[in-house]
Amino acid sequence: MSDHEQKPGNRLREELPAEVPPAEAPAADAPAGQQPGLTGRQRLVKGLWPPRVTRAQLIVALLLFGLGFGLAVQVASNSDGDSALRGARQEDLVRILDELDDRTQRLEDEKQGLEKQRDELENSSDQAEEARRQTVEKERQLGILAGTVAARGPGITMTIEDTKGTVEANMLLDAIQELRAAGAEAIQVNGVRVVAGTYLEDSGKSVGVDGNKINAPYRFKVIGKPQDLEPALNIPGGVVQTLEKEHATVTVERSSKIVVDALRAVKRPDYARSSSQ
Amino acid sequence: MIAVLGLVVGVVAGLLVRPEVPAAVEPYLPIAVVAALDAVFGGLRAMLDGIFDDKVFVVSFLSNVVVAALIVFLGDKLGVGAQLSTGVVVVLGIRIFSNAAAIRRHVFRA
Repeated sequence: MSDHEQKPGNRLREELPAEVPPAEAPAADAPAGQQPGLTGRQRLVKGLWPPRVTRAQLIVALLLFGLGFGLAVQVASNSDGDSALRGARQEDLVRILDELDDRTQRLEDEKQGLEKQRDELENSSDQAEEARRQTVEKERQLGILAGTVAARGPGITMTIEDTKGTVEANMLLDAIQELRAAGAEAIQVNGVRVVAGTYLEDSGKSVGVDGNKINAPYRFKVIGKPQDLEPALNIPGGVVQTLEKEHATVTVERSSKIVVDALRAVKRPDYARSSSQ
Repeated sequence: MIAVLGLVVGVVAGLLVRPEVPAAVEPYLPIAVVAALDAVFGGLRAMLDGIFDDKVFVVSFLSNVVVAALIVFLGDKLGVGAQLSTGVVVVLGIRIFSNAAAIRRHVFRA
């Protein structure tokens, strides 16, 4: 900057480089300044107090206005405080941006991991729920077979009137077998549920079903497809004919709603264990 | 006196208006301000010495600002902007100090 400023031969610039040896300068300055009869201090006061509107004053005022303006703006923008990034250099900004990107990436990864975990948990809880539902359903189905729950549905009612006392346990067993073969799903006889382990025995004039004595008339309530059950009983030489030969009266009625509500207690097997476990 | 008033008015205006500094100018404003301060101190010293000349002051003020901004601009382009602006500030600071020392001798005779 000093190059072209020295060309116009200005005194200020010539003076400024001489700042290096200032020690001797004031001593020389003071007498030089006093030559027109003014010290530096007097000049300062003179320049300050009677305000003169000269060209020099106006120009300097304009420049100083610019300086003050820039100064204030810079200070204000620097102390804005709302963003520490203001005035940061480009490389700093790039670094900060990189860090932010890294952080975003890491958080994104973490988010994905957590979402995956959540999905897995939801899935597994869904699966557990499904398994539980299926278990309940299966328990209900098995309960119908095992006689631990009541059942209802379409089926038939068979009533065997035995006035002569000729019906024996094996005839009832035949009837039960026939019903089972025809697809009966739930059977009860005079309030006793017939299940897989049911046994029948003759005991005098009555019949014992699983130890419960039942007397005529024997009333079977059977759930199954009525169109299969009734013909199965009525086939020639079948249950009904055999019983009628023994002078028993058999009536078979179809019904769209049979309720089998005789229950059995759940009995835990003493010896048999599930082999699937 | 008018000059001092100009400075005060400039500061007040800057504080009141609070204009948004354009992004292109932002890195250069602080350096330009420091360079202008250097010119002002030089001018003040010249006035105390009785050799003040308004034309010289205007030229030195403007060229100081422009050259300082130019150096920073060049430094930014070369990738050493931070170091160069530090250098400029150091140099200008030294000049301001020496000018202030001369002014002090005039005003306080010490």
